[in-house]
This record gives sequence, C-alpha cells and structure tokens, in this order.
Amino acid sequence: MWNLVVILQSALSGLLLGGVFALLGVGFSLSWGVMKVINISHAAFGILAAYIAYWGLTLYGWDPMLSLLVSIPLLFFSGLVLHRFLIQKVTRAREIVVASMILTFGLAIVLENAMLFAWAPDERLITTAYSSRALFLGEVILKVSNLIGFGLSMAGIGGIYFFLYHTHTGKAVRATWQDPEGAALQGIPLNRVSMIAFGLAIASAGAGGVAMAYMYSFNPPAHNHWLIFLFLVVIVGGVGSVIGTAVAGLMIGLITGLSGAFLPFQWINVFLFGLLMVILLIKPEGLFRK
Amino acid sequence: MAKTTKLSLIGLVFLLALFPLFQPPIHTLSFLFLVFLYIILAESWNLIGGFGGYLSFGHVAFFGIGTYTSALLFQKLGLSPFVGAFPAGMMAAAVAAMIGYPCLRLRGPYFAVVTLCFAFIMDLIVKNWWFLGGSEGIHLKLVEMEIRLSRSIFYEIYLGLAAVTVIFVRWVEHSKMGLGLSAIREDEEVAQTLCIPTARLKLQAFVLSAFFPGVAGGLYAYYISYVHPDVVFDISVSILIVLMALFGGGTSWAGPLVGAALLSIINELLSTYIKPEIARMIYGAMFVAVILFMPDGIVAFVKRKRGYA
Amino acid sequence: MKRSTKGFWTLVVIVALSWIQAGTTLAAEKPILIGGSLPLTGTFSATGKWVEKGYQFWAEEVNGKGGILGRPVKLIIYDDKSDAKEAVNLIEKAITVDKVDLLLGGYPGTACTAVMPVAEKYKMVYVSMGGHMKSFSQGYTYSFGSPPLMGEWWYLGFFQWMKTVPADQRPKRAAIFTMNNPIGVSLMDSVYKGCKDLGIEILIDEKYNLPLTTADAMIAKAKQMKTDLLFANGMFPDGVMTLRACKSLDYNPKAILQGIGSVIPEWTRELGKDGDYVFSGTSWHYKLKYPGNDKIVKVARERFKEEEPPLYFGFGYAWMQTLQQAVEGAKSLDQTKLRDWLRKNEVKTIAGNFQFDEKGLPKPFVYLTQVIRGTVELIWPPEMRSHEPVYPKPPWK
Repeated sequence: MWNLVVILQSALSGLLLGGVFALLGVGFSLSWGVMKVINISHAAFGILAAYIAYWGLTLYGWDPMLSLLVSIPLLFFSGLVLHRFLIQKVTRAREIVVASMILTFGLAIVLENAMLFAWAPDERLITTAYSSRALFLGEVILKVSNLIGFGLSMAGIGGIYFFLYHTHTGKAVRATWQDPEGAALQGIPLNRVSMIAFGLAIASAGAGGVAMAYMYSFNPPAHNHWLIFLFLVVIVGGVGSVIGTAVAGLMIGLITGLSGAFLPFQWINVFLFGLLMVILLIKPEGLFRK
Repeated sequence: MAKTTKLSLIGLVFLLALFPLFQPPIHTLSFLFLVFLYIILAESWNLIGGFGGYLSFGHVAFFGIGTYTSALLFQKLGLSPFVGAFPAGMMAAAVAAMIGYPCLRLRGPYFAVVTLCFAFIMDLIVKNWWFLGGSEGIHLKLVEMEIRLSRSIFYEIYLGLAAVTVIFVRWVEHSKMGLGLSAIREDEEVAQTLCIPTARLKLQAFVLSAFFPGVAGGLYAYYISYVHPDVVFDISVSILIVLMALFGGGTSWAGPLVGAALLSIINELLSTYIKPEIARMIYGAMFVAVILFMPDGIVAFVKRKRGYA
Repeated sequence: MKRSTKGFWTLVVIVALSWIQAGTTLAAEKPILIGGSLPLTGTFSATGKWVEKGYQFWAEEVNGKGGILGRPVKLIIYDDKSDAKEAVNLIEKAITVDKVDLLLGGYPGTACTAVMPVAEKYKMVYVSMGGHMKSFSQGYTYSFGSPPLMGEWWYLGFFQWMKTVPADQRPKRAAIFTMNNPIGVSLMDSVYKGCKDLGIEILIDEKYNLPLTTADAMIAKAKQMKTDLLFANGMFPDGVMTLRACKSLDYNPKAILQGIGSVIPEWTRELGKDGDYVFSGTSWHYKLKYPGNDKIVKVARERFKEEEPPLYFGFGYAWMQTLQQAVEGAKSLDQTKLRDWLRKNEVKTIAGNFQFDEKGLPKPFVYLTQVIRGTVELIWPPEMRSHEPVYPKPPWK
C-alpha cells in the first residue's frame, strides 16, 4: 500500500479530476458570491452541455471540444435570459439566497426532466479516438481524456480569472460584489453586470460539464451526484473566489485520489464530508477568502 | 387566532380523526399518513428554519436516527416501536444537541451546507456499520394486525402527532422563545445586543425541531417494516421539507402546514393524471412560479392580499 | 379563503378525488388490472423504463391472443420517482384504489424489498426480482422471484466453469471491489465461496460508496499486488470507470468480472471494444434456448433498434409470463389460489423453468456471460453455450 507508484498514480489522477471539479465549481462560486444566487441547476446545465457534446460526436462526428463552440454561447445566452426574466424578479424577496435556491431547484427539476423526456434515461459515454490513449510518466499513467478535461478546466478557469481581473466588465462585476452601493454610485449598471456574470457562470458550467463527460458516464439525473461535490469545492475554496475554488478543486481531487491509496474506499466519502464539516466549523469562509 | 378559525381547525382535525370510520380506500389513509408525516417534519423544521432563519438541510437525518433507534430497539430488545418512538425522539434530540452546539455558530448558507454534510455522513455511517444493518438494511417483523386496522392506527397516531406539532409550533411562535427567534432571524447581532440569549435559543429550537421527526421516524420504522438508509436518510426528503416550509411561508406556524399539505396533494395529482416526466416538469415549474409571485411563501401572500401586515 | 376553510376544502377535494378514482375503475370491470410502480423518472429510470417496456410488450401479445381467461389485461404502472417510500405508497394505491387483480414487480431491489411486506399484508402474489436472499428469508409466502436477481448466485456460473479450466491456468490471486449497497453485499457471498472452493487467494477486498469518483487508486493497487482476477462488483457508471482505469493503467488480469453494469446495452454500445471479454452473471439471456426468446429478440431489434434485448426487458416479460401461467393454471384470480398453484407447479418462462421452494425462489442458477466482440454471449452452462469463452483476457492494445 505504501508503494510509491500507487501513491503517485492516485495523487496525479486525483489532481486531474480535481481540476474538473474546479471548473464546474467556479461558476457556481461566482453566482453565489456575486449574485447571491445559489444555483441548484448549475450541474444540470453541465449535463446539457455534455449531451450537446455527445450528440455532436455520435451524430456528426464532431470532437467534443468543437461542441463547445455551440454549447458555450448557447448556455451564456440562457444564463442571460434566466437572469433577466427569473432571477432579477426574486431580488424582491427578503431572503434572496433562499428564494434563489428554491427558484433554481425548480429550474433543475424542469431541466432534468426535459432532458429525460427528450433523450431517455440511458447512460451515455463520450468515447473519442484518443479517449483510451495515455501518457506514460515512468510507471505512472495519465489518460489523455483526463488530461484534456484538465486542460479545458485550466483554460476555463484562466479565462474567467482574466475576465474578472483584466476586463472592464469583469472589474465591474467584482466591484458589484464587493460593494453594491458603491458600485451603483459609480454608475455601474448592477442588473446588466449581474446578468453577464450569470451568463458567464452558466457558460462555465457547460465547459465543466464537457470536461466531466470526458471522465464519467452521464444521464439526466446525474447532476444530483455532481452537486454535492460542487458545494464541497466552493465552500472549501471560499465563496466567490476564483483562485480559491480552483485550488480547492485541486485539493479535493488530490485528497479523493490519495485517500484511495490509504483508506478503505468505504470511508473516503465519510472522510471528505467530515473534512468539509470540520472546515466549516473552523473556518467557514473557506481556506482562501481573505 | 380568531375564534372562528380556531373552531374550523378543531373541526377539521375532528373530521380527519373520524375519517377512517367511513371505510375509505386504505390508500387514502396511507396517503394522508404521508401528508401528516411531512406536516410533522416541516412544522418542526420551521422552529429552527423559518422562525430562527437557520435553514437546516439535513433534517432528514433526525427522522432517520429516530427510525433506526426504534428499529434497533425492536430488533434487539423486542421493544414495541409504539413505545420505542419516544426514546427514538430523545435520541434524535440528543444528537441535535451534540451537533447543534458547534454547527449553530455558522450562519446562512454555511449552516445549510454543514447540516447537509451531517445528513450525508449519517447515511454513510449507517451503510458502513454492520451493527446498524449496514447497506442491507433492517428487516422488522410485520405488524400483527389486519391491514386496515393497522393503517388506521398509524393514521390516527400521526394525525395526533401532527396536531401536537402544529399546536406546539404555534405556541412557540407566540411565546418569548418565538419572539427571540424572530429577532435572531431579522438581525442576530442586534438581537445579541438586546441581551437575547441567542446561542441558548438557537440550540433549544434546534433540539426541539429534531425531537418530533425522531418520534415520527420511530413509528415509521414499524409502518414500513424495512429500514434502509436510502429510504430514511434520503436527501431529497431533507430538501423537500425545506421547500414545503418555505413554500407555505416560514415565518408563521401555518406556513409549513399549508406547504406540506399542498405540495403533497399536488404531487399526488400530478403523478396520477400526467405522464411522469411532464409531471415532474410541472412540479419544478411550480416552484419557479411560486417563488416569482409569492417569494415569502403562500401564507404571507394570502395575508398580504387580505390586508394583514 | 380563510386558511382553515382552505384546509377543509382541500380535504373534501382529496376525498372526492379518491372516490372518483374508485368509481372509474368500477365502471371498467372487464379487463384484468395489473398494477404497481416503477422508477420512470429519477436515478433508476434507465432500467425502470425497460421493465415497463417488457411488461407492455407482454400485455400487447397476450391481448392479441385473446387475453387471460378470456379477459384482456390492462397495466397500471405508476412512477415512483426512484423512491422506495413512493413505491410502497403506490402499490397500496394500486391495491386499494385501483383494486388491481394482480401486482407487477418493481425496481430496484430496495423498492421490491420495501414492497414485499406490503404485498404480504394484503395477501397478494408479488412476482419480482426481489431484494436478494435477505428479502426472501423473512417468511413472506406471497413473494416469488421468477427469475429473481440474486446477488448471492451471481457468480456461480463463473466458478462452475472455472472448475473445467485446467488448474495451472486458473487465476491465483483476486482483487475484489464491491459497491456498498444491498446488491454489492449479496454479490460477495458467491465470490467468497467460489474463491475458497478453487483455492484462489483474496488479496484485496474493499467496498466503495456510490457514486464512485475515481477507480484509479483501486486498479493501481490491484496491479501493484499482482492480482490476476478482478471482481468489479458495481453498476454501470462505476463499472465503466473501473474498466477504463484497467485499460489506461494497463492492468491485465486473466479475467475481469463485472457486477451488473455489463448487462445493459449501453455497455457494448458506449464502451465498444474496451468492454470486451468482461464476464458477468445473469438470470436471463436472449440466447437461452427457452421458447419465446426469439420473439423477444425480434421485438427488440424492430421496435427498439437494440441488437440485444436488454436484461430487464426480458425480466419484465418473464415475470408477467409467471403471473399468466399462475392465473391460467389456477383458473382464478384469487391470490391464495395463485400462491398455492405457484408453490406446486413448474413455471415455464423465457428465463427457464422454475419450481419454487418455500422461500419463493427457484433452485440456485445463474448463467455465465462474457462480452465478446460487442455481443453478450452465454458461456455456462455448457448446453446453453453460444460461444467459446475467451480466456485468459487478451492484453490491452
């Protein structure tokens, strides 16, 4: 069990996995932190993008990465529409966090069952020509599909970071989050900014979904499984922090992988959730929020 | 409460109690049994959730703890679950006291997530521990009674428990404790400066909110005869409880009652008459619609429409 | 409307609706009503849908031939949303509101296990996959597994076949990874017994919780300890991950046994060549030489465009066949008569001919299957063999 190869293998696989968790989590974290919207339907949009990639591949032979050209704009637009017509309406509620949770919960059910109705509950896998190829680092093996998923995640997270810190709109988004009144006084159109941020969050969910699809099988109800890991990553990383979520995702992936080398597998999830509870009780703002 | 409202409610409970005598289809009794269960769960949840503003997303864990406690007492000691439900409730309350103490120091969504974690962990612990039946579950001896009689008995017990829970929650709402809780909900810092014992109140509310689900769970073990984590630690029940209470409106005692009853009935109607996926879509759309038009819940909406504050 | 009056009217509406429901079923006396629930939405819907299709195909066929005892059959299948509590509720609805004549089996095992005591209480025959040995050991007299899905028997076929392989070619060291749920736990029974019988050393024996996030650590361990027999006791998503991990980590045991993921069509469809050579067990296979299987294959190909009829499509059909024979044999819809008939008589289904014991189970049997070039073939028993097994498993390319 203390074999170096096993440990290294588990650690690296876990890390690659963690990157994908991170991408899926970043949008979730963003919408929670900036717009105070806990978007329960986040993972469901990820599944939608996974289906687009699947159908693109099986019907037209498109590489899943190409399908992103379709899903990202589509999901971005959906995010804009959702925010404008649904989410903005619940800002009236006394408790926007609660109201947004209920709203997006309903949305998740609608989306899941719409996909179920359209595409049946059959399990789907994304298998491309290079899916089974692997890179060898000595005795440690890295699957190409995992590497692609990881690469996509890093690109996505990088893109979001760039947007938030180096573009005008992105800075406006951050300003809105840190100090809504101040931002409004500066003439920042709060609603428009939030809309764009939300669109971005949903689009990133799409990218995250495709990255997940490289590694896991999926069908409409699968988003429920992904959701709990979203919470895990976002809380550990600190709500609203892109870097925090990214690091947290990697960490959690690493821990998941490594604990497989040391603990009986039965107890991995208990360990993870226990860890989450401990972190929450000690430092709820997450490990990386300043 | 206005005298007429009080009388109508008492009348309703009375009618419901007499209902089994009219020999309705047994399924209606079972259906109402489930409605009563959700009323018990949502109402007691509301003590900490709606009143206190601390949304516990792991409340199903207390139901599950109650179920397992009474199931184990029955299986290992032969103690009838009708009696065992009480220690089951105490056990749930005890666990709530233990984890409430550290968890209630968290606010808002963090409290929600930590309680959700707690529910997951309970589910996993039971699945991994052979003593608790592990992932095979516990098979209990069947209730030795003719089915209509046993269903009617469970129906009456749950009706009673639901009534007790509702009355209790209403009493709390109008008590000092209730006032303290709503102060906490509105602004906890201010409440503290007003010398309201926030930590104590929160813990009390949390423990009380766990007791009733524990008792209900204790009885449920006998009702269903087969206890398994997937059934009694089901996270979707947890989420449903929160939704029912908030759907009806968390700030009043009537909200969870209305929410639980309405959602259960709508769910039943949808599944009976409409294709499954479409039924689920309508169900989801309903949440969206309600939160758009009645963001503080149905009861608050109705109250406002009628000119109450 | 006042809150309390709203509550009162709600009650009136419920009562009225249930009376209306009861009334409408009274008017349609003629058909034989067969009712119950299946997971048509939610986590288990992928399989639930196939059971439904199996039931529907059987009903169509039977009605085309004039029904049972001269009456047409009508199916009432509720959606239990993959929730066992709903399954319990809905079976009671079928029994007491729709007043069905016969019950139909649910899915998965947890739901069946929860429903069996209810069927027992109402004294109605319940034919289903069951919930493994524990569910059949509770003394229920009205439940029958025809065929059952018995994790405890799942690998019997494999070990029986392995006995015919020369001793020096058999695997010596096993790695076992099992999902932590009733199915997984029951699968382990046959693994332990079989390994003991054949002198196979168990080097790794671990359970994991669903959903599985990564199989890499498991397979890395299995490879490092030089095990040459892998038991991947899981379902489809984790089975896929395990297989892919085997391939990418270049782990080449002599044989891989997979729990119940490899029997759904997605296995061959989605995994393609990677899913080849995996062994599994099954209680039914369309290549079995029992009458009726050719029909099943035809319907699956023409109507559902499936090259191979899915397992639960066949199961659904077989369970209905059992009910049909019981009714026709006992010439009655009286549940106790049906139960007694099933106890005494042999039932002939597409899955085999069953004689039930006092538990409601037939004699232990399981067919060994292997996925060979994209098709699930029967390997054992030898008289049912449809293809020679490929052993040891060819290394990954």
